[in-house]
Amino acid sequence: MTQMLGNFIRALRASDVRVSISESIDAGRTAELVGFEDREVLKSALSQVLAKTDEDKYAFNGVFDRYFTFEKVESPAANDSTAQGESETTDDIPSEETTQADGPSEAESQGQGGQPGSGGGAGGQSEKADDATAQEAQNAQGSQDLLDLLERGDAVALQQALAEAGQNARIDRIRLFTQRGMYVRRIMEDMGLEGLELEIERASEENENRADHIRGLRDGLREQVRDYVERQLDLYTANAGQQLREEVLSRVRLTNVDRRDMRLMQGLVRKMAKRLVALNSRRKKKDIRGALNFRKTIRQNIAFDGLMFDIHWKQKKIDRPKLVAICDVSGSVSSYAHFLLMFLYSLQEVLPKVRAFAFSGELGEVTDLFKTQDLETAIGETLKIYGSGSTDYGRAFEEIERTVLDDIDHRTTVIVLGDGRSNNADPRADILKVVHARAKRVLWLNPEPKSMWGTGDSEMKSLSAYCDSAATCTSLKDLERVVSDILRKGQ
Amino acid sequence: MSVQRQEIESIREGFAQSGYICNTHIATSIFLAQQLQKPILVEGPPGVGKTELAKATAEFLSLPLIRLQCYEGVDESKALYEWKYGKQLLYTQVLKEKLGDLMQGAEGLTESIARLHDFDDTFFSEDFLEPRPLLKALWEENGSVLLIDEIDKSDDEFEAFLLELLSDYQISIPELGTIKARSAPIVFLTSNNSREIGDALKRRCLHLYIPFPESELEQKIIAARVPEIDEGLRKQLVAFVQGLRGEDLKKHPAVSETIDWARTLMLLHANELDADLVRNTLNVLLKFQDDIEGIDGELNALVSKARGA
Repeated sequence: MTQMLGNFIRALRASDVRVSISESIDAGRTAELVGFEDREVLKSALSQVLAKTDEDKYAFNGVFDRYFTFEKVESPAANDSTAQGESETTDDIPSEETTQADGPSEAESQGQGGQPGSGGGAGGQSEKADDATAQEAQNAQGSQDLLDLLERGDAVALQQALAEAGQNARIDRIRLFTQRGMYVRRIMEDMGLEGLELEIERASEENENRADHIRGLRDGLREQVRDYVERQLDLYTANAGQQLREEVLSRVRLTNVDRRDMRLMQGLVRKMAKRLVALNSRRKKKDIRGALNFRKTIRQNIAFDGLMFDIHWKQKKIDRPKLVAICDVSGSVSSYAHFLLMFLYSLQEVLPKVRAFAFSGELGEVTDLFKTQDLETAIGETLKIYGSGSTDYGRAFEEIERTVLDDIDHRTTVIVLGDGRSNNADPRADILKVVHARAKRVLWLNPEPKSMWGTGDSEMKSLSAYCDSAATCTSLKDLERVVSDILRKGQ
Repeated sequence: MSVQRQEIESIREGFAQSGYICNTHIATSIFLAQQLQKPILVEGPPGVGKTELAKATAEFLSLPLIRLQCYEGVDESKALYEWKYGKQLLYTQVLKEKLGDLMQGAEGLTESIARLHDFDDTFFSEDFLEPRPLLKALWEENGSVLLIDEIDKSDDEFEAFLLELLSDYQISIPELGTIKARSAPIVFLTSNNSREIGDALKRRCLHLYIPFPESELEQKIIAARVPEIDEGLRKQLVAFVQGLRGEDLKKHPAVSETIDWARTLMLLHANELDADLVRNTLNVLLKFQDDIEGIDGELNALVSKARGA
């Protein structure tokens, strides 16, 4: 039962439902409490324990329905007849009787939830046998059972056998669709394929019709096993592909990201911005104004006989960094700029005081654009308006001096995003010097590796002198590291 | 029907008797909360009866309902306890006067201090503790139903502060130590999702989502709450509200609005819906002028559809 629930939780996690250890323990207690007999109650109960957001509930419903699929066939009568049938076939072979009796009864105790625990069954038996001949005999017996099962067309027993074989073949470890063939084979073997083939051979010597009949059954079984493996693959890897791609994307160089991965990337960037802000925006400073913290004041002043000597205030200031971001969007860095703008956009959603500027030749403020438009439009507009000129850092900095210098104070962090290539125009490093003197910090994120700095028309050597830190930033991981740094030291 | 199913059904029926009509899903959640001793986090659109659920549970189990309304800035002195400062100060005054008697005959400083130590210190004791809702709930001898309403309105700090209470049914008061619940209360937390609730809190709770009820359930609710309404009108009214929920509105009418509307129609002695009647009373259902104006064009269609139902 634990195994079954454990696998179910694995399947849930594969579908991107976050299930913690304590929640799985709760799930175990819940399942014990409500039992597996009543599917509706079980579903309703487990959904309250395991799925705790809208998306989770949606995913949960899907996984639950796929995972506990055999509920329909459960009825005491069917169960009895299965047990009956099994014992009849095994009556003349005493050595098999115990195992066979185990199978159905165990499945029954589990309410036929679909995945009877390991142990029992023909496959398990054949593994245990060390004597080769005994094994052969049992294989033959297993195949006899299998054949019998197929000929009877007992769907319930077949599903049970299938689930059992799947358990033995560790189907819950399936990760890639290329593994399907392997699992189909393993499960077939576990169910006694070998014996079945022998049976076909034997039958073909005597009676060709009979052999064809068995072949038909075998192929039918293969279809079913394939179906089963498909379903399990679906169950356990629903989201693995997505996870893998996200993981890879966060490491790949920003300029090399495919256009079709953009959407995924957007989600990643937004997630990252949220996480960073959540991590870092919660520091508070004590203030010396506002409402009296009565409790603390009394507490502190008991020593002074209740005289209000040492006074405490309630107000606390949340210290959030002010951010001025200047982004180069000229042709040379445009694909890179796309992501930086995306990141700026996400930051501005979560931080209250972000001012964003874009330039290539002309510099302009895009804060309002970002606030009012959705991401696609905002970035598109920005690139359209400012992205056409050739880079001129000097003019951009002059514009900065004119418009925002007054707004830059000791709480402001200035970020410049660009490659520092000014087309041989004076980069006006002197303005950056003034900005540096006023601002809390100046950071420069450059998509070029450090070895390229100062080569050709790159002015990074002279500009980076006035930066608190200048770093190469080419992938999302880099970006995350740098920005987390800003927020942490920014306090 | 399994034993558990029966128990859950009996909870549902118990609720129905006290006028709270719900489905099996909600009853299951009450059953689990009782058995596993876990708090329930109830989410859903406003007006679907999240708070009512706590009230109904209290009535069903005949336990006292203790309610804590959350708002921005709610803190432990308002939720948990407060010292009675005035009395504490008076106590020190009294103590000072008694000090002379206490110290009479004491030889030297050491003995005086020793006597002072022997003296029962009640400055920080339960005598001077003013319990707030959470502490009250823990102090109830026979258990209670604790409703922490609109937890999403409170700050993150408060949420973190609740964790100890929710997982172990105990709280820490620095001056006194840990106070354990005399009997574990049944805790409901409600949220309108104005802010995402933290994972840590969610992990400790059962999560119950109450959506707008389906037509059948809503009819039962109306029948229980407004019993004087006749069946034909009830059907039409519920069908109309269900139709409204399919429209693109700022705020969809909830169960509480349906009940209000049913009462309004009863006051007007209406026997069936017609477009004029609906138009005149629509402000009971819809709370935004934009919505009322926006739906006007489709009103006739909605009404005739509801009448056909």
